[in-house]
Amino acid sequence: MSAIIEARGITKRFGGVVAVDAVDLAVEKGQILGLIGPNGSGKSTMVNLVTGEMMADEGSLSFNGADIARMALHRRARAGMARSFQMLRLFQSLSVEENLVLANHMRMKTSVVDSFFGRADSRAEDARARVKARELLAWFDLQEFADRPVTAMSIGQQRMVEIARGLMSEPTLLVLDEPAAGLSPPNVDKLIALIRRLRDEFGISILLVEHVMRVVRDLCDRVVVLDSGKKIAEGAPDVVVKDPVVVEAYIGSGWKRRAQA
Amino acid sequence: MKPYLTGLGIALALAFAPFFLGGYETNVLMMMLFFIILAVGLDLVAGYCGQFSFATGAFYGLGAYTAAILNRDMGSPIWLNLPAGALVAGLFGLLLGIPALRLKGHFLAIVTIAFQTIVYLTISQWTSFTGGQVGLSLANPAPLNLGFVTIEMGSLRSYYWLTLAVSVICLLVAWRLAHSRIGSEWIAIRDDETLAAAVGIDTTRGKLSAFVASAALAGVAGVLTAHALRGVTPDDYTIWISATVVAMMVLGGRGTFIGPILGAVFLVLVPELLGKFAEYKMLIYGVLLVLAITLMPEGVIGRLRKRAAR
Repeated sequence: MSAIIEARGITKRFGGVVAVDAVDLAVEKGQILGLIGPNGSGKSTMVNLVTGEMMADEGSLSFNGADIARMALHRRARAGMARSFQMLRLFQSLSVEENLVLANHMRMKTSVVDSFFGRADSRAEDARARVKARELLAWFDLQEFADRPVTAMSIGQQRMVEIARGLMSEPTLLVLDEPAAGLSPPNVDKLIALIRRLRDEFGISILLVEHVMRVVRDLCDRVVVLDSGKKIAEGAPDVVVKDPVVVEAYIGSGWKRRAQA
Repeated sequence: MKPYLTGLGIALALAFAPFFLGGYETNVLMMMLFFIILAVGLDLVAGYCGQFSFATGAFYGLGAYTAAILNRDMGSPIWLNLPAGALVAGLFGLLLGIPALRLKGHFLAIVTIAFQTIVYLTISQWTSFTGGQVGLSLANPAPLNLGFVTIEMGSLRSYYWLTLAVSVICLLVAWRLAHSRIGSEWIAIRDDETLAAAVGIDTTRGKLSAFVASAALAGVAGVLTAHALRGVTPDDYTIWISATVVAMMVLGGRGTFIGPILGAVFLVLVPELLGKFAEYKMLIYGVLLVLAITLMPEGVIGRLRKRAAR
């Protein structure tokens, strides 16, 4: 099995703080890799390094076999990476459909100049993108929101739009940053079923950062655990959560501190 | 089709206006057209793309001085000066766009003010090239010889029609930019630049193209103004022009296209209607701007659209 994305020895420092310390991580093709760890363990930094919002200080990063360590954010997106954000991020002044269509611009064959002149093939391509956006919205059962502003939706619905936006660009890797945050338990069940379908029906490999352990256990093929920027464990979810080092990282150190106080 | 037909209707009505208006009113109308181009141009970069610029006056001046200097050195006619002014201003727009790739908000605004100041100081002090404080004068526009007929371009009416035709072209270009793919990329950059890049939008291309388009339109307005006034002086292209155009855009509504047009019409009319109180116009613009930003930050048209959406 080959890795879609493979990070080796990734390090990121903020001043004197080492936020991510020589982390290795690989998402295998067609699999879901979980990235977990206590608050402040460097998960979000790691995600930003993978997607290109930040550049790593050290280490190598390859995506579909190509070196992307210095590649800009929008080029990584074009190479086939899509993500959702822990804090919801959608274009606030645009409709739901427009939000999705924008994510498809980079896949269009006609140029912005063709679009400026209103050429027929360019207009047809725009129309196809809108149809695709509506199909995806229907897949998420959100078609009635297509023309409404994103602010008209609930948090959970906006999370679905973020995932739909990711699918608009036909990615090979989808990075989901805490998709279950703020969802009610029934919605978490829906989310789990949905992410599983993304992998099984769309064949997308997924890097999943998550706090909700049920989501991690149900979905992930493998899990990487970070603590204080270092990888402390990796393996199958059921094994990893019982690992004494992981248990200590999550609750043990807290008990120790309390005992000392 | 509707916006194109509306625009065509208004343009036709404006084409007949000089038959019913005196010279003074026709001049005011022409001034309005210059400021409409400036305000819509600024709206592309500041309203749609979210990159605040106080350098409109500088690009306006670069266009005007390009026309005056080409006319002086080569006797070039307005037909050549229009694209040349757009090109020169557009190139400087590209230059000012480069710091915008790294700076945001207030910091970018300060850089644009610095740019405006540099351009003003250059055109007012480089006397051997620009005429310094005295400025330069332009020759009367040459008659246009179409072979079968010769059109006299020196008269106010024919120059007004030329201005109107060029304005229509400018607005059509701006409308297409704002309402085609690049326009929605500008809005995406304004809303959330990092997210725009994360969905694959080339934000460098987006921001630079907005700066170039905005500057080139201001350059065209500058060429038209230089030929209309038959001359250029540095004091016509100061930061006060930039501030006035910002006021027009903000009052009308940023990123609404029609708003800055109405803002330009209104703020050109105000000092004309004030008569001898016109010297207080900057004060009035200032008060209007403060009121607009506190009470109606989305502008008149922005507010109306928001209400309609509800």
